[in-house]
Amino acid sequence: MASPFSTSPKTRPVPPLSRAKAGTPLYVHLPFCAAKCHYCDFFSVPDEDQDVDGMSAAILREAERRAPRSPRTVFFGGGTPSLFTEGQLAHLLDRLDALTGWRASAREVTAECNPESLDEAKARALLRLGVRRVSLGVQSLDDATLARFGRVHTSAQALRAYDAARAAGLDHVNVDMIYAAPGQSPARWESELERVLALEPDHLSAYNLTFEPGTRFHLELQRGSIAGVPEEDELAMLDTTRAACARAGLEPYEISNYAGPGEACEHNVNYWNNGPYVGIGPSAVSKVGHARAGNVRGIASYLARIGADGNAAVWSEELGPVARLGETWWLGLRLARGVEPARARATAGFEGGADRDPALEVVASLERSGHVEREGDRVRLTPAGLPVADAVGRRFLGIGR
Amino acid sequence: MDPKHIRNFSIIAHIDHGKSTLADRMLELSGAVRKRDMKDQLLDDMELERERGITIKARAVTVPYTLDGETYQLNLIDTPGHVDFNYEVEKSMQACEGAVLLVDASQGVEAQTVANAYLAIEADLEILPVLNKVDLSHARPDETAEEIENSLAIEATDAAAISAKTGVGVEEVIRRVIERIPAPTGDPNAALRALIFDAVYDEYRGVIVYLRVVDGTLRKKDLVRMLGTGKIFETVEIGRFTPKMTAAPELRAGEVGYFVSNIKKLGDVRVGDTMAIKGTEVKMLPGYREPQHMVYADFYPTNPGDYETMRDALETLSLSDSSLSFEPVTSDALGFGYRCGFLGLLHMEIIEQRLEREHDLDMIQTAPSVTYKIVKADGEEEWVYSPGALPGPDQFEELCEPIARVSMLLPTEFIGAVMQISSDHRGLFIRQDHLSPTRVQLMYDIPLAEIMYDFYDKLKSATRGYGTLNYEITGYKADDLVKLKILVNAKEVDALSAIVHRSRADTRGRATLKKLRKEIPRHLFEVRLQAAIGAKILARESIAALRKDVTAKCYGGDISRKRKLLEKQKAGKRRMRQVGDVDIPQKAFLSVLGGEDK
Ligand SMILES: Nc1nc2c(ncn2[C@@H]2O[C@H](COP(=O)(O)OP(=O)(O)O)[C@@H](O)[C@H]2O)c(=O)[nH]1
Ligand code: SF4
Repeated sequence: MASPFSTSPKTRPVPPLSRAKAGTPLYVHLPFCAAKCHYCDFFSVPDEDQDVDGMSAAILREAERRAPRSPRTVFFGGGTPSLFTEGQLAHLLDRLDALTGWRASAREVTAECNPESLDEAKARALLRLGVRRVSLGVQSLDDATLARFGRVHTSAQALRAYDAARAAGLDHVNVDMIYAAPGQSPARWESELERVLALEPDHLSAYNLTFEPGTRFHLELQRGSIAGVPEEDELAMLDTTRAACARAGLEPYEISNYAGPGEACEHNVNYWNNGPYVGIGPSAVSKVGHARAGNVRGIASYLARIGADGNAAVWSEELGPVARLGETWWLGLRLARGVEPARARATAGFEGGADRDPALEVVASLERSGHVEREGDRVRLTPAGLPVADAVGRRFLGIGR
Repeated sequence: MDPKHIRNFSIIAHIDHGKSTLADRMLELSGAVRKRDMKDQLLDDMELERERGITIKARAVTVPYTLDGETYQLNLIDTPGHVDFNYEVEKSMQACEGAVLLVDASQGVEAQTVANAYLAIEADLEILPVLNKVDLSHARPDETAEEIENSLAIEATDAAAISAKTGVGVEEVIRRVIERIPAPTGDPNAALRALIFDAVYDEYRGVIVYLRVVDGTLRKKDLVRMLGTGKIFETVEIGRFTPKMTAAPELRAGEVGYFVSNIKKLGDVRVGDTMAIKGTEVKMLPGYREPQHMVYADFYPTNPGDYETMRDALETLSLSDSSLSFEPVTSDALGFGYRCGFLGLLHMEIIEQRLEREHDLDMIQTAPSVTYKIVKADGEEEWVYSPGALPGPDQFEELCEPIARVSMLLPTEFIGAVMQISSDHRGLFIRQDHLSPTRVQLMYDIPLAEIMYDFYDKLKSATRGYGTLNYEITGYKADDLVKLKILVNAKEVDALSAIVHRSRADTRGRATLKKLRKEIPRHLFEVRLQAAIGAKILARESIAALRKDVTAKCYGGDISRKRKLLEKQKAGKRRMRQVGDVDIPQKAFLSVLGGEDK
């Protein structure tokens, strides 16, 4: 099986997954951005000289073969979907609706937007085209930090874009923020955070900055020209975020996500519940049944593959039941509500009962060490477990070996 | 060939002093190999040997040479150059009448040269000193000659000054070999006696035995008996190394060559054994003994499922290395594995690398330990092969450790520093000899365990690399030795314990914990490390619990990749073993050893 790390155009195609059931969540990846941010490892390229219409056509062709009927949730991500013009968006969303009927079926429809490409007109257009929820990439309210991140907008522009979304009548707005930027103190983060919360967003994603391999930041970190903030500061910022969000009425429902009542992102919660989904577009990943497959990461190779036979998958995997169980726990514990063991077994297709469930041994040991706790029939991370969720996850990923 | 036209000799030299180069030049001059056919340095052939620049196994080569109208048969017997293989060196020398003592005139005499030269003197060989690399501008042949005289009491004023590299003086060396080294004595018509001085395993032909015919004549199809092991073989093929194996109908008294029989295991042939014709009564040649293991270490497969594979690999290796011993062992911490006995540290490293390279095994290796001896109240003696196996202190009266007579050669300015290191390592001063105004030889008795710990590293750094060392085990001595236990989260890890002198237990315990602290990764909980003697805790360290380890973003597109990353970090260090809840990496098991980053 090809590896998900592979980006080589020479990678052999793998057979596409079977068609997902009606109702399966749909993700559409639009891979263009105004410029590449220095921390970002999503697959996206600067939009200059890119053939947006060609990409739309290819995405629609892939959707024709693979998109589920009547998806429960739809997420337009990227990349920067708001970079598309109103006309381009209308074409893509209308055709997609004709193929899947998403406008009638989807309870939640999100589009990622960036301040430089979201004004009131664009927001109104999105709303008119069926988008109900906007996720706005603000990332920081400090202009120096924004510049360091390689963002192409200022904090003032970000605030204007937020207001534009509200003015257009969008009732579900998420703000994306990054903390632990090089040189950032916990106090400075707190003040940025307070200003963001003062906007009263319905949802906040606050990510601890990560130096992902392949990004410019990672390179700079290795060269020593930038440094991460100390671990204690990162922990303090996490605490601050949780406390401030709670005061603002945003409940933490996942490690980096906070939502007002009823505002949790259902599309994303499905990922953490290890549910099925269909991803369309370059680099997009799908999970159908117990198998996952991913598309090629590359504009030209995506276009070429779709052009050839409508299939851009270059890797796929299907884990065994025990590994699936471990994966389900690892993902599920990211959620504040935690994991229900019986449901995890069902999701993973693990056939033994509780008495043969290897995850429960790990739970018992982590309970003793105070990293997880039981709440009714659920198991969730304790406040001590949260900052070490990966180490906890590794214990589950190691079951059965 | 008439014995009076045979010369059997070896070349004694420190690593890099030019032994292989000189051997190559001699082969070229004899016309035995054409220059362009010659792989550089013909005598070393294993890949590993090449890499490490040492000769693990002795080799021999027979070449004809014509001098003043007479044709001679020169048998050059190569010797391994490391103290671990001293017994093999001794046996190779026993097959010779003389030795070329080759010293790099730009470096001077080194400890290993002295040690091997002494073996040659003991074997009663004629020694021809030769000063090499005189083409180098910084060569100092006069001073080197003086060092030879002072360290070995060998007349060296007329030593040949040569350059093995350019070939200058090499013919003169051959002339001296022929003129000064005695021809072998021995009666070709007497009953056969041959010395086995080496044996190698060949995948296709089985064991190839190197021998020197001392008396009598060995013929093809002879039925021979090994006097030491009692085994009987039929000689399928006999011959000489020219340098390729070349079959011959017979080998007569004084000659060096090989024989091949249907011998499947190297263990069936013992270096130093005497070979005779079956049914004849002859006296065994002197000096035969079983290989003596000075160092033991345990190997455990990282994946417990590889236990069988490991046994097969060790069995295969022992076909070609009769000095390797192994037996099953179990550790509370590490499960099932094998305890292996080695001639010394180098030998251990070679085996470790061969297991990994040739058999692709991932394993955990414990720190090497010497063999201890306990004496019980009733006087009964018992060997203890690993610190974990040491019985409680009430079970024995005395605990004895092997002592090495260590000889070090160094520039005089470092005497003070080296004496300090030697006494820090419980060394007992024996002697000091000035070889020349600038070089001195120091002799100490030092426990072998101390040498293994970090003595060699310390010597090297104190003398800026100029000091060299050689040692020989002289016996066992009782001392105030105790078992230093290491506890990880209150659980004793047998594979980490060590036997140390009581006076040094404290320092040793602290040093070990410091290193463990560096090697063991942080866990979800605090990892507490303790060093103890019996119930008494000598030192403590702790590895704080992980405080932050969490992926900020994880969405549908990342799940597979992030999961693989986490799995990799988990299995990651492939060589990790879980002891209780604690993952201990391979490197931690070597923390018991000293040195900087072992
Ligand atoms: N300049 C010079 N270099 C030499 C001479 N003899 C050997 N060498 C070099 O010294 C190094 C070690 O020689 P080698 O024969 O491998 O040493 P061995 O370890 O004793 O077998 C090699 O780089 C040789 O080329 C010599 O006479 N003059
Ligand atoms: S962070 Fe968002 S805007 Fe920046 S490069 Fe990545 S996808 Fe594009």
